Amino acid sequence: MNEKTIRQDTGFFASQLIPTPWQGSSEPQYAPDEALTRGTLFPGLDLPFMNMGNRGNPYEGTPLGELMAIGFAAHELVLYLDTHKDDAEAFMMLKKLLALKREAHDRYVERYGPLHTDDLMMSGDYDWVKSPWPWQAGEGGMK
Amino acid sequence: MFVYEKKLQYPVKISQPNPRLAQVVMSQYGGPDGELGASLRYLSQRYTMPYDELRGLLTDIGTEELGHLEMVGTLVHQLTRNMSVEDVKRGGYDAYFVDHTAGIYPQSAGGTPWSAAGMQVSGDTIADLTEDMAAEQKARKTYDNILRLSDDPDVSNVIRFLREREIVHYQRFGEALRLTVERQNQKNVYAVNPGFDK
Repeated sequence: MNEKTIRQDTGFFASQLIPTPWQGSSEPQYAPDEALTRGTLFPGLDLPFMNMGNRGNPYEGTPLGELMAIGFAAHELVLYLDTHKDDAEAFMMLKKLLALKREAHDRYVERYGPLHTDDLMMSGDYDWVKSPWPWQAGEGGMK
Repeated sequence: MFVYEKKLQYPVKISQPNPRLAQVVMSQYGGPDGELGASLRYLSQRYTMPYDELRGLLTDIGTEELGHLEMVGTLVHQLTRNMSVEDVKRGGYDAYFVDHTAGIYPQSAGGTPWSAAGMQVSGDTIADLTEDMAAEQKARKTYDNILRLSDDPDVSNVIRFLREREIVHYQRFGEALRLTVERQNQKNVYAVNPGFDK
């Protein structure tokens, strides 16, 4: 077949929009800690520059790190479910993570203060402006 | 509505001032392929999205991008918060410093202020989703280049997280485009614009 006959192929039809392959399943998954460190819950999408992915993150093992990790894993499942809304297994997993997230959230707020203004319900005084803002991490001599 | 959560999506804790690195990281705050443009693009495009999945995805990714804007702002702040005037001069930060001191201003690394001219809300579902996929690739490219230039492992750690998010978002937008194409006339996907023609 020469170039001309290929171009004249009458059977040619294409949507013209080259499709991204579907992510077939929400499994396998990283554990929440590793997911946060790697930047994705899904090993199949973990494609680091120069093949150098993160091996740790600065808050790993802290209450805030735990909350971030669980929240991140749940967020990843939300984005997945946005395009896979009939995946019952992924939805069950999301509900489990959201229950864990609520517990981790309350544990954190009890010890370190409010994350939302709604959390002031659990505060003894108006400490919304007292606890450090996220960009202040590592600031020396913080009040 | 939006409600503020007093934490970052991913930890950012930089100890050493480094205005030279701040200057290039800044591009993801207010540059052409940065997080401000990403969030406004998706949060603005969502109004004319014709399907439940697309409205949900653009809202959820657009919201995440606002979180990334905060992370990049935090990076630039922490890279400049304890710098001396000597650091400013040595780091080539003087042209920025003269207008903004150690403030966080949305501009590209080269000094162009953030502009809506760098993004589009076309109102055409296929054009918008295709733009969104390109936007994720352009942001991924900028993070690749920041990783090439970064000499601070703590900054690179955060940048790797942000870069990986672009890859996940690209996947989701690709799936959103598939969902859209499947619902069009299979002989001619361009027959109508599902975001306008009812």
